[in-house]
Amino acid sequence: MMAGRVAYMELRTGWKGLLIFSLLILVISVGIVQIFPTFRDSMIEELEGANKVSLELPEEQGGNITLSWESLDNASSYMVLEDTRLSMVTAKLKYAGRETSITFEKNFEEKRYYSVMALLNETSDPMLIGIATTEKGENPFQELMQNPFYKAFTGGRNINMLETKGFITLEFFSWWWMFAGLFIAYLSVSIVASDFENRHMDVLLSTPVSRRHYLIEKFTAMTITAFLVILVATAGLAGGLASINALNEFPLDIVFLSLIGCLPFLMLITAVGILTAVLFQKVRAGMGITFAFVFAEFFLLAFGGFSKSLEWMKTVSIFKYWDYSSVIIDGSFKAGDFLLLTILAIALLIIGIQIFQKKDIPA
Amino acid sequence: MIEEKLIEIENLTKMYGNHVGVKDLNLAVHKGEIMGFLGPNGAGKTTTIRSCLALIAKTAGKITIFGLDSHRDSVAIREKTGYLPGDFGLIPSVKVSSYLKYLLSLRGCERTEKMMPLAKRLELDLNRKTNELSKGNKLKVGIIQALMADPDLIIMDEPTSGLDPLMKQEFCRILREEKNHGKTIFMSSHILADVERVCDRVAIIRKGQVKVVEEIQTLQEKTGKVLEVEFGDPFTIDEFKLEGVSEIQEDNGRIIMTIHENLDGVIDAVSNHRILNMNLKTYSLEQLFLKYYRAGEDSERGDA
Repeated sequence: MMAGRVAYMELRTGWKGLLIFSLLILVISVGIVQIFPTFRDSMIEELEGANKVSLELPEEQGGNITLSWESLDNASSYMVLEDTRLSMVTAKLKYAGRETSITFEKNFEEKRYYSVMALLNETSDPMLIGIATTEKGENPFQELMQNPFYKAFTGGRNINMLETKGFITLEFFSWWWMFAGLFIAYLSVSIVASDFENRHMDVLLSTPVSRRHYLIEKFTAMTITAFLVILVATAGLAGGLASINALNEFPLDIVFLSLIGCLPFLMLITAVGILTAVLFQKVRAGMGITFAFVFAEFFLLAFGGFSKSLEWMKTVSIFKYWDYSSVIIDGSFKAGDFLLLTILAIALLIIGIQIFQKKDIPA
Repeated sequence: MIEEKLIEIENLTKMYGNHVGVKDLNLAVHKGEIMGFLGPNGAGKTTTIRSCLALIAKTAGKITIFGLDSHRDSVAIREKTGYLPGDFGLIPSVKVSSYLKYLLSLRGCERTEKMMPLAKRLELDLNRKTNELSKGNKLKVGIIQALMADPDLIIMDEPTSGLDPLMKQEFCRILREEKNHGKTIFMSSHILADVERVCDRVAIIRKGQVKVVEEIQTLQEKTGKVLEVEFGDPFTIDEFKLEGVSEIQEDNGRIIMTIHENLDGVIDAVSNHRILNMNLKTYSLEQLFLKYYRAGEDSERGDA
């Protein structure tokens, strides 16, 4: 038989879906970059808001802390909440009254947060004036951005959302895996399982195409598709960055390297999709399992970032081996991880082939 | 003359869990013949055919095709084999011609000279989209794809069910032409008349085992055909007690008889009367089993 025919047919029949998906990627990748300037400006405004509250620390333990804030014309009274957590979920009322400054003794060691709110005359809802912390030089608003959920994905790196790189890392890549991953998962299951469901497998395998060859070609078609998707996303992001004059800060090669890192990640999802399609021979069953795999791997990484004792979870998550923030923030591409995922994907494909060769094709 | 065996199936057993697909099945298809594989639905025809093409793994037994092992050398066998599955499915939303060319390319063949005339003879529009085809037209695509690469062996699972009578005729002509070009054809059916029309030999399968392999002519002689004639004038049963005629009955101005041979003589006898209506029928598969294998069935029951 002529090599590449099955892969070619797959790409030929699937080009419309790929085109629609590519357009969607373009719109979203260009669009997200466009949001950045507005986001940055509003964030700076909010950060300035935090400066409306000032906190003076004593020189030594046991001295007094002075917390003061700007008065508001329409405020009837003010309220200060105190907590050891920035989330303020266990906050206690520290002060309620008309003063715009309070002084109290520092009789604690740990870091504390103070949230100052104004109670307005005309509404019952309090309005946030600002947040202050007892840690010198820290901005609680920036700290809010360092959610442990995010931290898992940035490899513990400090991401500045006010820079293009930081914004793209968190706002584009934190959903890109799902967008591209689930698209590839869906396609890789259906290109094999639909041949079973359409009763087309009998005809295909009555030609001199071996089962091994068949699966390798399907895998190749999916790898090409994943590569095209990455190219489109690169074009979209780079185009978006060029339009806001940010390509000098976040150059094209870094955009490409950060995205190409997900090629073996997508290849691995493809291999899982093909494996489940071969095992279950049904689009729905295969897709359910492949989607579950992608999400399970994601949560392994996310939960692994919550505490030191859970770090082992990260090691078994495929997400750990696609470290886009390493490329974007540190400028280093982890070729070892790239290779590891590629080898894993090929190993899974080989297992899929072994299973397929032993399975009966349902009549 | 010793016939060359193109397909040789020895003690084939296929189990689906506890369910028996076929059991100790033995069958040989000779080079250059059209072998019909006849049996009711669920008898094991499809299981046998799909085992030959290694689409399913056999539980036990041996299948040799072109002298090659059906599983180990499956790809080499498929290079020279065309196959029409019983439930033929295709890629949706492509042009039929593109789809057929694609299947040709999988056989390493770019020649389409056989595809076009076949489509013309079967009255199939190659410019249609595969998802727009009726069941009959899909079957035509299936027939074309099985034949277009000019394979030495053609295996077809129920190729006639779904074709209208005119198309069936054309299909049978095509198969005979293939045979005349030296091709070997192995086709299954559950319709006796379709097998009779085109096959040289027939293997009858029931409950996963080949019960008999017979030349079509012998089968016809043994089973015969049922002639039913309605006369417009008086007649006697004795007039039709001729050589090769059996089971003569009279029924309200009609005569019903089974003809094994000597059709000429019967026609002569019938033409002595005024004929109002006449009907010559082939036995249905079930009637054939009842008639031809009743003895076998009885002995099976006797053994039980």
